[in-house]
Amino acid sequence: MPDHSPTIRSRLAVVLASTRMRLLTISRYPGQLLLDIVIPIVFAAMPILLGRATAGADAAAAFAANTGTTNYVAYMLIGSSVFMIVSYAFWHMAYWLRWEQETGTLEALYLSPTHRIWVAAGTALYSCLRGIFSALAAFLVGSLILRVQPFGGGASAGSFAPLGVAFLFILSGLIPLYGMTLLFGALVLKVKEANALINLMQWGISFLMGIFFPIAFFPPLLRLAALLFPPTWMTNGVRSALLGVGFFFREWYLDLAVLWAFMLVAPLLGYWVFARTEVSVRRNEGVGQF
Amino acid sequence: MLGTVRVEGLSKTYTVRQRKGLFKSEKRAVEALRGVTLDVQAGEIFGLLGPNGAGKTTLIKILTTLLLPTSGDVWVNGYHVRKQENQVRATVGCMLMGERGLYWKLTGRENLDYFGALYHLPPAARKRRSMEIIDLLALGDIADRTVETYSSGQKMKLAFGKALINDAPLLVLDEPTNTLDVPSASELRAIVRDLNAQGKTIIYTTHIMAEAETLCDRVAIIDHGQLLALGAIDELKASLGREQVVRIEGVISSRALDAVRQVPGVRQATRTSLEGTELLTVVSANGHTNLPLLIAALSQAGALIQKISPEEVTLEDVFIAKTGRTLAEDTRAR
Repeated sequence: MPDHSPTIRSRLAVVLASTRMRLLTISRYPGQLLLDIVIPIVFAAMPILLGRATAGADAAAAFAANTGTTNYVAYMLIGSSVFMIVSYAFWHMAYWLRWEQETGTLEALYLSPTHRIWVAAGTALYSCLRGIFSALAAFLVGSLILRVQPFGGGASAGSFAPLGVAFLFILSGLIPLYGMTLLFGALVLKVKEANALINLMQWGISFLMGIFFPIAFFPPLLRLAALLFPPTWMTNGVRSALLGVGFFFREWYLDLAVLWAFMLVAPLLGYWVFARTEVSVRRNEGVGQF
Repeated sequence: MLGTVRVEGLSKTYTVRQRKGLFKSEKRAVEALRGVTLDVQAGEIFGLLGPNGAGKTTLIKILTTLLLPTSGDVWVNGYHVRKQENQVRATVGCMLMGERGLYWKLTGRENLDYFGALYHLPPAARKRRSMEIIDLLALGDIADRTVETYSSGQKMKLAFGKALINDAPLLVLDEPTNTLDVPSASELRAIVRDLNAQGKTIIYTTHIMAEAETLCDRVAIIDHGQLLALGAIDELKASLGREQVVRIEGVISSRALDAVRQVPGVRQATRTSLEGTELLTVVSANGHTNLPLLIAALSQAGALIQKISPEEVTLEDVFIAKTGRTLAEDTRAR
């Protein structure tokens, strides 16, 4: 029998194979990719049109007084696009576990010598690629449809720095975000239910991260809860970089430092809880029972 | 040692919820395995038999690290299932869930490639191994179709192929011929025999007694979480201590009848006439091994033998004696 001891290279190969497997699977549902772009635009269009209907010509001015930007269309589009990344992270990770449990492939994964964290990393990479693609495409297409300058307020002509900062916030937010999805995955493994949990979480997440409004509107305790949630920092970071609404700590690098602190804590906590849940499940009924 | 399994005092208790109406439930402990001790030797085909709920799936899941035992120790290929689970996984090929456990939106080849990656095979080795398996199982025509388009039997074959991807010294096959048509099942059994001839140890569960009887070197019968019997099939049959009956048709004289009665182990020999043919019924303590002696005695006494019908003790008889029911009965009840 050949020696198949895992090396760093072979573990990375598992990550890529897992990403590839999911990309191949989604490529067999081409309509889904189109919907990925449409959903955040529709999602943002609802409050935009509601705002226009209720505030009329004063919509931009009233919005600027509360948020710091008159570009409320881009504000909503950024909110719904970042929410797409966050929502996909939870859907893909939780649904990945549930789907593999139901189709029997989860047991097949556990039969192999690959640690699940590498398969999860592959799933996370796939989810990132799909989420970022959808968010970017939806933001740009949405700006075209709703006839708005997507970077108005922050990025000036000829300067790509705000775009770079916005990307930095998204990329830095992804790691703590996927750490949190491991916590959620552990819950799915235990309660053997994904859809209802995710549906419930979606509303809580979208509310807490302030996809359509600044979290300054929250009462103090709720605001604190929102600030403990990495996607809130992601959304505000992108908005501040592109629209100039203002970072929580005034300077972009201070807000980014908070995300990096989450980056250290959330994945470790997520992994620890997931590993403990795995052991608990294997002590009793096993991962394949659903 | 590679290809071996050692199970010592293995017990497994689950907690299940007993539903009592709409919202009420009660936790209950279920003992799935109770102090099972057995061993599987390198290079053998080891059958695991038992009615539904007997504990054999639990045993297999512990051997393959899917479940953690409550107590007891298990070594697979020389590795401890709790302390060296990755080594166990790397050295076992499993087919546990039949046609489940495959990605239906991927092709057969893509499935094999993905599972090869999970077993840390380098890309070139994955490609080569996938090709070998596709050729071995004659899946060439369908290898590039998505699995969702496969027939049930084709999915089973691919699931079997997946178990071979890491070229492990020990294969655990849980009812691999389920849903296969007769020729495909026979073909798969032949492949299992070939793999065994190449030195692989095989743990095989089946509901088909004839399959276990023809394929396995040794079997274990498990019921209610306990090991009821373990040994070579002939030993298990002999352990029943039953008299066996051999019916011989032909021209059999009184002298031949007397000669048969002198053969050691023969308890009773009677001669009847049936539609012009004489029928000799011999009841023997060890009819299977006595058959050559009976034939020799009859021949020397000038008898003309036309037909011999030994009524042997079967594995099914052993199963019934140990569990109190037939495996077929139990399978139908599922």
